[in-house]
Amino acid sequence: MDAITALALSINNPVLRMIDLLIDNDFFYAALIAALVLAGENRNEKRLEIFTILAVVLVAGVIIKGALAIPRPCTGESWCPTDYSFPSLHAVAAFTLMIAFLKKRTYPLYLLFALFVSFTRLNLGVHVFVDIAAALSIALVGYYAVDLAWRSTQLRMMRDIHGS
Amino acid sequence: MDRETGRQLFHLALGIVAVLLLLHFGRGFMIALVFFTIIIGTLLMNIRLQGGRIAVISWFEERFERSDAFLPGWGSACYAAGVLILLTFLTDINAIAASIVVLALSDALSTIIGRKGRIRLPYNRNKTLEGSVAFFVSSLAAWYFVGPTAIPLAVVATIVESLPGLEDNLTIPIACTLFFLVMP
Repeated sequence: MDAITALALSINNPVLRMIDLLIDNDFFYAALIAALVLAGENRNEKRLEIFTILAVVLVAGVIIKGALAIPRPCTGESWCPTDYSFPSLHAVAAFTLMIAFLKKRTYPLYLLFALFVSFTRLNLGVHVFVDIAAALSIALVGYYAVDLAWRSTQLRMMRDIHGS
Repeated sequence: MDRETGRQLFHLALGIVAVLLLLHFGRGFMIALVFFTIIIGTLLMNIRLQGGRIAVISWFEERFERSDAFLPGWGSACYAAGVLILLTFLTDINAIAASIVVLALSDALSTIIGRKGRIRLPYNRNKTLEGSVAFFVSSLAAWYFVGPTAIPLAVVATIVESLPGLEDNLTIPIACTLFFLVMP
């Protein structure tokens, strides 16, 4: 096990454990992400773009998880999730959200949120650091690719409107 | 020296340092280093986007970043993200080192030589045949790490690098990663 994962695992606090489990709950986490998008972005069009990017990168994450099939560090424990480890989808969503707010004044808060979510995944013992690092690279590539496609689609639509 | 040549030489130097650090300290150390570099880098990008000015960053930006970049520091962020893809998706140090050689050495040389080239590629008027040849030949330096596998790796990377409209710093590492994952 790498040093960062071991360090995160060594922190044992009941309140932190409760927060870990809360973030581990998919419904709570999805609602939290949605709330953070709505709270941080006022423009509906940009909100729609962020939700689209989140959907695309999460689907990509699920495909990568299935294709690489890397077992979780907790495999064998009764509480361990049944799906694969690499990459962390929680971290993929958090880092995508972080990148979406890169141009905003509130960016440091989203960065801290992403790092905290990543830390909870390590502290819970369901991921190792490489899963988190891969999530950052997937979020960066996914955000760039979908944002590029989104912009070119908008440009084409505007040209069509002006053309007609 | 013009800005683009300086930028490519900067990427080449970074790549050499990355390979040396990888071979000396190992994959785990490099993953942590590149991860936190990206985190700090995005924070600096945010400060820059908010109108802030950090002397050292501005110095690098003026010399090593494209003037038409997507965001300030975007080229370097993509480069780091590309290296992080290689480090996290591949486990074999030789495969990672070979891919970084392709990303750093070949991309830099193909740009420097390709800009002086005359024969334009039919499917990408922004790139030249001379640049692609330079990319392919320099990619063979990956032989040092992966042996004869460097030949198909160079072919795949050269084709991907020559495609239009995409960020090379991301597409080359993704192509190299897929190559090593798919290769038996």
